[in-house]
Amino acid sequence: MSMEEAFALAEAEAKLQQALAEGKQRFENAVVPNRYNEDWRFGRPNKYAAALVELLQSDTASSGKAEVKNAGDAAMVVTRDDDDLRQTEMLMPSIGSDALLGMHLKRFGSGYALFIEKSISEPIHIYYSTGGLYTPSTFIMVAPGVKAEVIEHHAADTPEATMFVTRNIHVAEGSELSVSLHSSGFSRYMCITDIQNMGGKVHHLTTHDNTLWTREETVAEIYAGTESTCNNLYSANRPAGESILDQHTRQIHHVGGAASDLLYKNVVDDNATAIFAGNIYVATGAHHTDAYQSNRNMLLSEKATIHSLPGLEILADKVRCSHGSASAPMDDEQLFYMCSRGIPRREAQLLVAEGFLAEVINKFRALSQSS
Amino acid sequence: MDESPFQIDTRGEFAFPENHRFDAGYGLTEATIDYICDAKGEPDWVRQFRKDALKRFHEMPMPTHWAPEGINNLDFDQIRYYLAHGTAPYKSWDDVPDDVKRTFERLGVPEQERAFLAGVDAQYDSETAYNNMREELSKQGVIFVNSTEGLREYEHIFRPWFGKVIPVNDNKFSALNHAAFSGGSFIYVPKGVKLAQPLQAYFRINSESMGQFERTLIIADEGAELMYMEGCTAPKYDSATLHSGVVELVALKGAKIQYVTVQNWATNVYNLVIQRGLAMEDAEIRWIDCNIGSGLTMKYPAVVLQGRRARGEVVSISLAHSGQLQDTGARMIHAAPETTSNIVAKSISIGEGRASYRGEVNVLKGMKGCKNNTECDALLINPTSRTDTYPAISVNGNASAVQHEASVSQVDEEMLFYMQQRGLTRAQAMSLAVNGFINDLVKEFPMEYSVELRRLIDLEMEDSIG
Repeated sequence: MSMEEAFALAEAEAKLQQALAEGKQRFENAVVPNRYNEDWRFGRPNKYAAALVELLQSDTASSGKAEVKNAGDAAMVVTRDDDDLRQTEMLMPSIGSDALLGMHLKRFGSGYALFIEKSISEPIHIYYSTGGLYTPSTFIMVAPGVKAEVIEHHAADTPEATMFVTRNIHVAEGSELSVSLHSSGFSRYMCITDIQNMGGKVHHLTTHDNTLWTREETVAEIYAGTESTCNNLYSANRPAGESILDQHTRQIHHVGGAASDLLYKNVVDDNATAIFAGNIYVATGAHHTDAYQSNRNMLLSEKATIHSLPGLEILADKVRCSHGSASAPMDDEQLFYMCSRGIPRREAQLLVAEGFLAEVINKFRALSQSS
Repeated sequence: MDESPFQIDTRGEFAFPENHRFDAGYGLTEATIDYICDAKGEPDWVRQFRKDALKRFHEMPMPTHWAPEGINNLDFDQIRYYLAHGTAPYKSWDDVPDDVKRTFERLGVPEQERAFLAGVDAQYDSETAYNNMREELSKQGVIFVNSTEGLREYEHIFRPWFGKVIPVNDNKFSALNHAAFSGGSFIYVPKGVKLAQPLQAYFRINSESMGQFERTLIIADEGAELMYMEGCTAPKYDSATLHSGVVELVALKGAKIQYVTVQNWATNVYNLVIQRGLAMEDAEIRWIDCNIGSGLTMKYPAVVLQGRRARGEVVSISLAHSGQLQDTGARMIHAAPETTSNIVAKSISIGEGRASYRGEVNVLKGMKGCKNNTECDALLINPTSRTDTYPAISVNGNASAVQHEASVSQVDEEMLFYMQQRGLTRAQAMSLAVNGFINDLVKEFPMEYSVELRRLIDLEMEDSIG
């Protein structure tokens, strides 16, 4: 090792130690989400976050089943003593939920880590399921120039089940990752995701079904960018009944020259509520950034509610950033067309809703398959 | 470039020596309030009202969990709450004290009055120095007075709505204004009366560390129409100056109110204004808002659409230079069915300036057939400029349509190149491009103002492009 290399290594180590110290401070100072927390606006933290906090602080042990398919030797089980992975989780950002992340860290030691070093044609599947409380961590690291697809299934064995997942996704230069996450059937489901893009392509899709309370926090960061570097975030959901769907996203451009896209669509029925709070952050000097963010909602019932907070924070120029949000009832003409052809109204509604959400799924699939 | 027909000093960077008959000193206590009440000769209910508000002011927290950080630098004890030459406004410019008159003459107010205004209210520090309205209007029953006179002489008209649109408890600054209010305009336009010419108020801060707490209440009775314009300037001092006004509008059935603000405070002024209108059945309220000056502006004109088919609109332009934070936006509360609203906001950030749009659109439960359209566009001039957008949209139920679009862009290099190639300087090309960006909004301002606005933007641009 040359002097320079040794010096660089020592410097990197010092930086890491400082970050860890700061990270520790961060969890010590964190307060559980309350109504003064802007990141929990409309999310009714005193009701929903409080219930999760109580469960995480109780003696209830984390237990669940974790499985992988098609991973070959890329998969590794996350254990309590894996300090490198624990450090990765310590350094990950949250959107107003540092206190909860701290509690997750105390329960660290389950889930899967994928180190994908060569391109694979078949998608890798990760399955997490539980009937009680489960707090796994997922790590996906993709080596330079590698293409891969990962599908995550998070399922509840009983309707009372709670799952709280953290996900760290690290994509190296020139690689391409499609990752989709499907959760269903929980009483409470929370997931914090950090995507670190070092100059590759990430296509990310989430769908959440039949869960009473869902909180999704997705931070997509670009650390190195070329023209082809991109983070594409998609989500399609149909909250119904008494469901609350609380989705928060950050598209962070630390450097310029890269692109990010976001499309979150929800069809909201019955008494359900959908909250979307997104933010595009373009750091100082991240010129030539191209970022888009779109939230579309379709309301099906008189008691359905949506809250949409699409934000922008731009500290650079020569950027192209825009966002849009639209909320509207279902188009009567489309319904009339189908009803006049003998399709019952309820079925016609389902078809229109499906078509509305299909745009998201198709966009994601088109990107995944081109890879 | 268009030349203004009026030779107006729109920047107002000059000051006259202080010469006050009334000075309540620094800080706000019950004694300050007694001083203000005694000076104004206010009825007891107003005194009690102010004291109750003061209690609320002390109890309430600063809106820190979302407000820009700059607000914490504000020291309420270093502000002077009441400074006045006299408490009764003059009805003729000839009677107005010389320095005050010269101030407003330099700002072009008397000329504008003669040329195109139906009435003028000129506030100098805490009190209205001059108030006049064309005679035929008073014959039609139009009332245009300052807040003290409004509550004393026309209590039966104004008291029922006073503090109803923006209650004391709304936030800390609302409580502050309720406790210390002075000056501003109280206007009543009777049923069916339509004012052909606008009424104007001019707010001027002359003294250092001054806190101006103007209070405006405009009531347009059924079918009435009016346009109200306000202009604001202050000289630049080293210490902070606070402008914290409360503006309440009430548009009864079928009435129309247009409220135009062109704010060009010096950069040491904190401009924290609460503006809200209540629109009843078939009524229409439009806020046309232009923020060019002040160091920190927090201003979100709101319309509560309280009656069926009511309409609300906010048109907003803000310009943020280095050292300025323009946190502006709009709020639309759809509290009745079939109500519609429109928000168009454009901001320009220059140098290290920061312009933010913060908005709220809320369609309440059970309201059918409501529509909102929001557009925010931001223009960044320099690599260090910053712009933010923080909208919040809530829709309850499946019978309303809401849409929001925002975009951020910069002046196209090719466009500048094209213009420079044809002989314009870079600064000229830049200001032409910026004027083009806000052109469709500037048209919404009355002609005299839009000419002025273009000139102001040219001036601001000249400084920033070297």
